[in-house]
Amino acid sequence: MSKIKKKRIGFVLDMTPLVDITFLLLTFFMFTAKFKSDSENQQKFEIRRPQTQSDTAKLADKDLVMVKIGADTVSKDTAFYVSMINEQDIVNLRQAMLEAKFPGIDEKTTVYKIKDTVWLGTIIEKCRIVNPRASFAVDADRRLRYRWVELAMNEMRKKRATTFNFITEKKMGM
Amino acid sequence: MAGGGELGGGQKQRRGKQGKRKIKKRLGFRLDMTPLVDITFLLLTFFMLTTSMITPQTMEMNVPPELDVPIEVKQSELLTIRVRDDGRIFYNMGMDAPEKVVMKGLKKVVVDQNVALKNRCIVVLKGSGEAPYGLVVQILDELNAAEPDIIEGLKRIGINERKRKFTVAPYEAKDAEELKGL
Repeated sequence: MSKIKKKRIGFVLDMTPLVDITFLLLTFFMFTAKFKSDSENQQKFEIRRPQTQSDTAKLADKDLVMVKIGADTVSKDTAFYVSMINEQDIVNLRQAMLEAKFPGIDEKTTVYKIKDTVWLGTIIEKCRIVNPRASFAVDADRRLRYRWVELAMNEMRKKRATTFNFITEKKMGM
Repeated sequence: MAGGGELGGGQKQRRGKQGKRKIKKRLGFRLDMTPLVDITFLLLTFFMLTTSMITPQTMEMNVPPELDVPIEVKQSELLTIRVRDDGRIFYNMGMDAPEKVVMKGLKKVVVDQNVALKNRCIVVLKGSGEAPYGLVVQILDELNAAEPDIIEGLKRIGINERKRKFTVAPYEAKDAEELKGL
């Protein structure tokens, strides 16, 4: 009365739903992925943004002048890094800065590393001329001394750019 | 030999019971999906890990334009918040002596003063150049967060309009002098 054992030859699992969902997620992540731009790639500093709780406004992705303030990881000097976002603005700003004889400028410059307030004032003025609708965004490290931000604020104020944004990071777990 | 096969089929058809063509039932085909799934999962994990979901937020800031004529403000309606070099926060109304305040208590001070002064209070933030920028932004954030409470407080006393917000001003040597030793 021994049972005859049927030999099992593996089993077949329908993978179709799994593949469906996986592809769905894959396409989602592929489309939402934002790759680093060229200028971000050249950036030699890391910015740890200040954390805030209340603001939910998203950063505009065009008509923007980005003023980054960061300390170089190698040379440890703090500088302003000014760049524009719109393609046309980048070209126009480069033209304007070539005319103004910005030191170290070439045909590929997109980010302007500035250390003194005179040049900062100049570039802010040029940005205002290139794109009068552009809004300014200040992206600075939270560990940085406030003095640097104040300098940038004063220069913007002198050039009548009285509204600008501080780029922050949403505080987690609030 | 396709032709031969077809011919054979034809013969079968004629020989069939109802004269219908007997089609060999196709049982579907099996495609080994494993490599496809492997690659897909690999790409999926790659994109999942590289995507940062935290988008930068912005805090809008308005500064008054540089005017040649300074605006006259009543001392008694001025709430000054100062950040010292070491990051300590002090506040004072008008000419009062500065008082130390912690970040958590700041909101209450601002709300109370605004409500007490019936919307005429002006908050000025003076940050020392040596103080960390993150701290200054945190204070600005607190001031922003205080707005709904101020509006609510004003409504309770019958004021439905909120006009003034806050502003930033440079931290001068006399500010540092006042805060010395506190």
